[in-house]
Amino acid sequence: MTSLRIFFLGGWTSYRALFGWLSPWILIPTFIIGPVLQIVFFALVGRTAGVGDDTFFLIGNAIQYASIPCLFAMGNTIGGERYSQTLSLLLASPARRVPLFLGRSLPVIVNGLLCSLIALVLGSLVLRVTIPVSAIPMLVVAVTVAAFSCTGLGLAIAALGLRVRDVAVLSNIVMGVLLVFCGVNVALTAMPDWMAAIGNSLPLTHGIEAARATVAGASAADVSGLIVTEVAIGSAYLALGLLMLAYFERESRRSATLDLA
Amino acid sequence: MTATLRLLGMGWWLQMKTRSRDPFDGILNIIYPLIFATTVFMMFREGGDESALITAAVGASVMGVWSAVATSAAGSLQNERRQGTLELLVAAPAPFPLLVVPMTLAMATLGLYSLVATLLWGRIVFQIPISIDQPLVFAAAAIVTAAGISLMGFLLAVTAVRYRAAWALGTALEFPIWIVCGFLIPVATLPEWVQPISWILPPTWGVAAIQDAAFGGTPWVNIAICLGLSAVYGVIGALLAGRLVNAARTHATLALT
Amino acid sequence: MPVIEVADLRRTYHAKTGIRRRSSREVEAVRGISFEVERGELFGLLGPNGAGKTTTIKMLITLLLPTSGSIRVLGFDAVTEPREVRSRVGYVFGGDRGLYERLSGLDNLRYFAQLYGVPAHEQMARIGELLEMVGLSGRERERVEGYSRGMRQRLHIARGLLHRPEVLFLDEPSIGIDPVGARELRDTVAALASTGTTVLLTTHYMFEADSLCDRIAVIAGGQIVAHGTPAELKGRVADGNVVEVEVFGSAEGSLDAVRALTGVSSALVEERGQAQVLVVRSGPGIDVTAPVLGCLSGIPLGRVAMREPTLEDAYVELVGAQDVT
Ligand SMILES: Nc1ncnc2c1ncn2[C@@H]1O[C@H](COP(=O)(O)OP(=O)(O)OP(=O)(O)O)[C@@H](O)[C@H]1O
Ligand SMILES: [Mg+2]
Repeated sequence: MTSLRIFFLGGWTSYRALFGWLSPWILIPTFIIGPVLQIVFFALVGRTAGVGDDTFFLIGNAIQYASIPCLFAMGNTIGGERYSQTLSLLLASPARRVPLFLGRSLPVIVNGLLCSLIALVLGSLVLRVTIPVSAIPMLVVAVTVAAFSCTGLGLAIAALGLRVRDVAVLSNIVMGVLLVFCGVNVALTAMPDWMAAIGNSLPLTHGIEAARATVAGASAADVSGLIVTEVAIGSAYLALGLLMLAYFERESRRSATLDLA
Repeated sequence: MTATLRLLGMGWWLQMKTRSRDPFDGILNIIYPLIFATTVFMMFREGGDESALITAAVGASVMGVWSAVATSAAGSLQNERRQGTLELLVAAPAPFPLLVVPMTLAMATLGLYSLVATLLWGRIVFQIPISIDQPLVFAAAAIVTAAGISLMGFLLAVTAVRYRAAWALGTALEFPIWIVCGFLIPVATLPEWVQPISWILPPTWGVAAIQDAAFGGTPWVNIAICLGLSAVYGVIGALLAGRLVNAARTHATLALT
Repeated sequence: MPVIEVADLRRTYHAKTGIRRRSSREVEAVRGISFEVERGELFGLLGPNGAGKTTTIKMLITLLLPTSGSIRVLGFDAVTEPREVRSRVGYVFGGDRGLYERLSGLDNLRYFAQLYGVPAHEQMARIGELLEMVGLSGRERERVEGYSRGMRQRLHIARGLLHRPEVLFLDEPSIGIDPVGARELRDTVAALASTGTTVLLTTHYMFEADSLCDRIAVIAGGQIVAHGTPAELKGRVADGNVVEVEVFGSAEGSLDAVRALTGVSSALVEERGQAQVLVVRSGPGIDVTAPVLGCLSGIPLGRVAMREPTLEDAYVELVGAQDVT
C-alpha cells in the first residue's frame, strides 16, 4: 500500500514540480505543434527524395516524438533534483527506491503516449492520411508500449544523471540516435546491417514496426510478437536503469558527489 | 562609428568565448544537425537520384546554421535574465539592439561550423561527390546567409525581452524554416499559399545563392536579395526592441522576480 | 538644483497568481514617496524586506516605469529621457548575480566599459585603476564562476564605477563581503561622495548607514515613515533609555509581561551566540531595569547594561510602529 502511494503520489508531485514553470505558451509548441511539424518535414523530404509514403512518415515520427517527453522528463527528474539539491534529501528518505522511480515514470509514459496520439491525429489531418478504424485499438497498444520502453531508456539516462553534468545534452544525443536508427524515416531494410542491428536493440523500433503493420491491415496476432519484443526491450532498459541508480547511489554516498555544491 | 563597431565586435567576440566555453553546447550544435543530415542523406540515397542527393547535401548544410540560431536566440536573453545581466544591459546607455545583434551573429558564426561539418560528413561518411564550383563565392554566400539568419534570430531574441516564454518559440520555428526555405524541399513544390512566406525569408535566397555558387550559377542577385531582406529584419528588430524594452519596463519583466 | 528629485512616486506590480486563472494580484510596492538628494550627498534608504527600496531604485535608474509620479535625475526625466540618465548613473546591486560567469573579470569589465562608452584608449587604464581599488588585481584573468561571493561583489562595484558616474546607486552593496572588505567599501563610498559623487544607498546594516549616510529615509510598506540625518533619527528615541539583559534560557515567555510594564515603549529578543538578549526601550527618565528583572525572575541572567539608543533602536521603533498600523 505504501509503495503504491509512493508510486502514484510521489510521481505526480515530482512531475508537476518539474513542469510547474511551463506555461501553455511552452507546452503547446513543444508537445503539439512540434511533432506535427516534424511529421510534415520528413513527409515532404520523403516526397522530394521519392521514398516512403505519408503514412510511413506519419507513424514513424509521431511515435518517435514520444521520446521527447520520455527521455527529457525522465532524465531531468534526477538532474533537476540534483540541481535544486533535493536529490540527497530524496535518497535520504526511507521511501523504497523502486516504486519511487517507477512512480516517476508513470506520468512520463502517459505524457509520451498523449503526445504521440495527438501527433497521429493532427498529422493524419494535415497530410490527409486515413487510418482504418479497426486498426486504432492495436495502434494505441503499439504507441503505449513504445512510450513505455522509451521511458525505460529515459530512466537509464536519468541514472547517468547522477554522474554526468549535463543530462539534457545526453538526452538530445540519444534522441538523435533513436531518430536515425529506429526506422523512423528510413526502413531498417534499407539500412546497412550493422545499423539495423543497433536499431533492433533500441526501444521504439519494434513499436513503430508494429504500428505500421497494424495500419497496413495486420491482425493483433500478427503483431503480437513485435509488441512483446518492444516490452521486453523496454523492461531491460528499465532494469538497467534501476540497477545503475542503486549502484550510483551507493557510490556517491561513499564519495559524496551527490549534490552539485 | 568606430565605437559602435567596437561594441559590435566586442559583443560578438565575448559571446563566441562564452559559447565555446560550454563544450557540451558546442558538441550538440554540431551533432544535432548531423543527426538530421544523416537521416536526410539516407532518405535521398534510398531514393536513388544522385543529383538530388548532392543538392540535398548542400542544402542540408545550412539547416545547422538555422538550428544554432533558432534554438539559442530566444533563449539567450532568457539566460541573461536568469543571470541578472539583462537589467544591466538595459540600464546601460548603449542602444539595446546593438547588444543583441552580436549575440545572434555569434550563434550564426558557430552555425557555420556545422555547415562545414555537414559538408564533410556527406563527403566522407556518405561519399557524396560534392564539389564546390566557386569556393570563394560559396563562402561569401554562406556568410551572407548566416548574417540573414542571425538577423532573423535577432527578431526572435528581442521578443524574449518582454515575453519570458519566447524561448520555446525559437525551438518551435526550427522545422518550419527548414520546410519553407528550400533547404531540401524546392520552394516551387510547396503549396502555393506557402511560397510567399518563403520569399520574404532571407535564408530562402541565401540557400539559393549557396547552391548557385556550388553548382556554377550566378548567385549575385540572390545574395543581394538576401542582404536586402536581412536589413529589413534588422530594422524591424531594432524598432521592436525599443517598444519591447519599454513594455518590459512597464511590466517588470527584465528581472526574474 | 537637487541631483535626484522624486515627487509622489508610485509603482504597482501585477503579480500573476495562476496559469489557468488569469487573475492577477496587485502589489502596491511604492505608495507615493517624495525626496530630494543634493550633489555630493550620501543618501540612505532603509527599510524592512519588501519595503520597496529596490523598486524605487529601479525606477530611478530607468529599469522600471513608475505607475505615477515624477523622477528627475541630474535634471533629466527618468521616464522620457532614459538615455541621458543611464549614461550618467551607476548601479550596483548585492548578491552574486549580474555577471557573465564564463568570462573573466577583465572581460566583464571591458564589455561594460564599451557599453558605457568609455573611450577605447582609456579603458585599460581605467579598468586597472578600479581593479586596484577593489582589490582584484592579479585575479582579473580568472573566470567569474570561480570567484567567491566577495570577489563578485567587488567586481560589481568596479563595474558600476567604470564610467565615473555622477550618481551612484548601491542596492545592498555589502552583502557577502567580509568585515574588512565591508570597511574598505565604506571608505571607498565615502571617498567617492567627498569628491562630488552623489550616492544613494540601501542597506540592512544600521552601523553602515549610520557611519556613511548624510541623510536617511526610512521606508516601510512603500511609504517614507521618517527621514532626516542619522542624528535626527536617533534623536527621536534619544530621550529614552535602552536596557539590555542577557538571558540564558528562553526570554520569549516573559516578553508580554515586559511589554505591559509602564514606561516600556518596546521590547524584543535578539539571539547573540549562546544567549538571548532582551532589549527593552523605555521613555525618557524612566529606569525600568528593576521591573524588567522582576519579570525575568527564575531565569538565569547574565550581563545587564543600560546604553544610549543607536540608529538601530530608532529604526526598530519606526518600523515596528509601522507594523502595528
Ligand atoms: N516583479 C515583481 N512582480 C511582482 N511583485 C514584485 C516584483 N518585484 C517586487 N515586487 C513586490 O514589491 C514589493 C517591494 O519589493 P522590493 O524589492 O522593492 O523591496 P525591497 O525594499 O528592496 O526589499 P529587500 O530589502 O528584501 O530587498 C514586495 O512586496 C515585492 O514582493
Ligand atoms: Mg531590495
